[in-house]
Amino acid sequence: MLRASAVCEAAGYPTSSLVCEGFMRQAATTSVGLGMPNIALALVPGHVGTQSKEELRRNILEVTTARVIENLTVAPAAKADQSEPAARDIVFKGGFKAVNRFFYENEFSDGLPVVPPTRDDVESFLRFTHRGPDEVLGIVLPDNRAATIWSIAVNGVMAGCRPEYMPILVALIEAMCDPEYGVEHSGNTPGGDTLVILNGPIIRELGFNYTQGALRDGFMPNTSIGRFWRLYLRNVAGFLPHQNDKATYGNTWRVVLAENEDVLKKIGWEPNSVEMGFAAGDNTVTIARYTGGGSLSSVSGSTPEQMLPYLADTVQKFNNWQITFTTSHGNGMLRPLLVISPIIAETIAKAGWSKPDVKRYLFEHARRPAWEFERQLRDWNIRGVWNLEEDVRMGRIPKVFYESDDPNRMVPIVWEAEDFMIAVSGDPLRNNAYVFAHNGFLGYPVGRKIQLPKEWTRLLADQQG
Amino acid sequence: MSNTNNDGYYEVYWPRAPRQMRAKPLAPRLATLEGKTVAQLWDYLFKGDEVFALLEEGLKARFPGVRFVSWREFGSTHGGEERAALAALPQRFKEFGVDAVISGMAC
Repeated sequence: MLRASAVCEAAGYPTSSLVCEGFMRQAATTSVGLGMPNIALALVPGHVGTQSKEELRRNILEVTTARVIENLTVAPAAKADQSEPAARDIVFKGGFKAVNRFFYENEFSDGLPVVPPTRDDVESFLRFTHRGPDEVLGIVLPDNRAATIWSIAVNGVMAGCRPEYMPILVALIEAMCDPEYGVEHSGNTPGGDTLVILNGPIIRELGFNYTQGALRDGFMPNTSIGRFWRLYLRNVAGFLPHQNDKATYGNTWRVVLAENEDVLKKIGWEPNSVEMGFAAGDNTVTIARYTGGGSLSSVSGSTPEQMLPYLADTVQKFNNWQITFTTSHGNGMLRPLLVISPIIAETIAKAGWSKPDVKRYLFEHARRPAWEFERQLRDWNIRGVWNLEEDVRMGRIPKVFYESDDPNRMVPIVWEAEDFMIAVSGDPLRNNAYVFAHNGFLGYPVGRKIQLPKEWTRLLADQQG
Repeated sequence: MSNTNNDGYYEVYWPRAPRQMRAKPLAPRLATLEGKTVAQLWDYLFKGDEVFALLEEGLKARFPGVRFVSWREFGSTHGGEERAALAALPQRFKEFGVDAVISGMAC
């Protein structure tokens, strides 16, 4: 919303931005990144979502209207840029505890101790990339900071990564900078967190866990790279809680999910990386943001037909309000992720089913009645002026969402079967699964190939020796 | 703070990166809203349709000659098509003779 206002101001049109009470601080920090720290805000008391018509009327007429008038007719006081250190400034000298206190007090850390980013350690990371330290991979909102190789190394050190993880960190920030991912939305209120899916031989080379406890902390590469992602969002993109990060609850970072490519190869299924457009055997990262989901216990059966109804039902139920991204507002960008354990994948595959077959099943069976779909968004959620019939009539969504006017017709939760993502990981011999509820255009799946330095083998041997 | 000798000594770098955006001036404000045309931009969330209707009522009570261009004319300013929607705004404003903008809803 403020991005829209900034475009208007830059084009010469005075604006007033309507901001609910709990979002004034976020608006103030976001406006700095937009280069308009004094952009005019009009307070909307409380939150409109919990107000009666009478309360809303009183708030808008008695409070907001006057602010709008002032915003459009009185020039806001100018605000100067805040001075900051330069990219390679030493900002503190001292012992481990003092460094950590300084970083915490300056909001550079996540509350856990960080590894002090010293010259030696940063340089050891830089040796694992052919790119120059000042190279800029992109500009990340909301702080509008340059995503440099240098800053990746510094935050990688802080997160507890090892130097040889650097090629993965670089690929991750390349992905973060992809406009399709939408990093600027990372502070939205549902508080989704990014999941990194890793593919390729690097899984084994660097010792990632891809079996039992695949999403649990306790494995250095999985855990520290997940932590790096969150630190980079904080320090470079600018997502700090109580400021630009407006997660109502949020989570700790997610550890990296490495696919079990041993099993995928055995059953003849393509890894996620191939589905993301890369060649089999490429080292890749895929990022996407998820706001919910959970595990399914004991997916029982010995055939796909016995297992898939439970999986499809749970995929549909866990992607609840997230269907807002299925509609015109979300432009069909819901990409639910189903992670199945190897034993489930093997059971399905031995009946001759491929990944696309499973996705087709999910498309046809992970459905809900049309009236429920509309009630969720129009009556319970945030889209007061909307329905499926209008969206189809206007050509905004596929016809499958309005094939009749029967309110009990079953409608899908995505536009097409390929919108489902499937990964294989977790305890090889337990028939459980995990569904991730996706966050649509606020964290759309994006993949990047991991570029290894020319002397990767030698560097790795030196590092691990 | 520990004063023991096993706490090490570190010279540490700034973990942030330079901002790429310097403060820019806002657009000039209007002397009055009387006789002016105000565009409504909405992200199609959080009761903006009701809020804009109320704002029209409140603003017209103060400035009877103020005109509005509905949010319906511009589409959602948020969502999968955000970039295209925002890029089109200046031209659309010229077409409608817009003087000022109200943008919502940050909730």
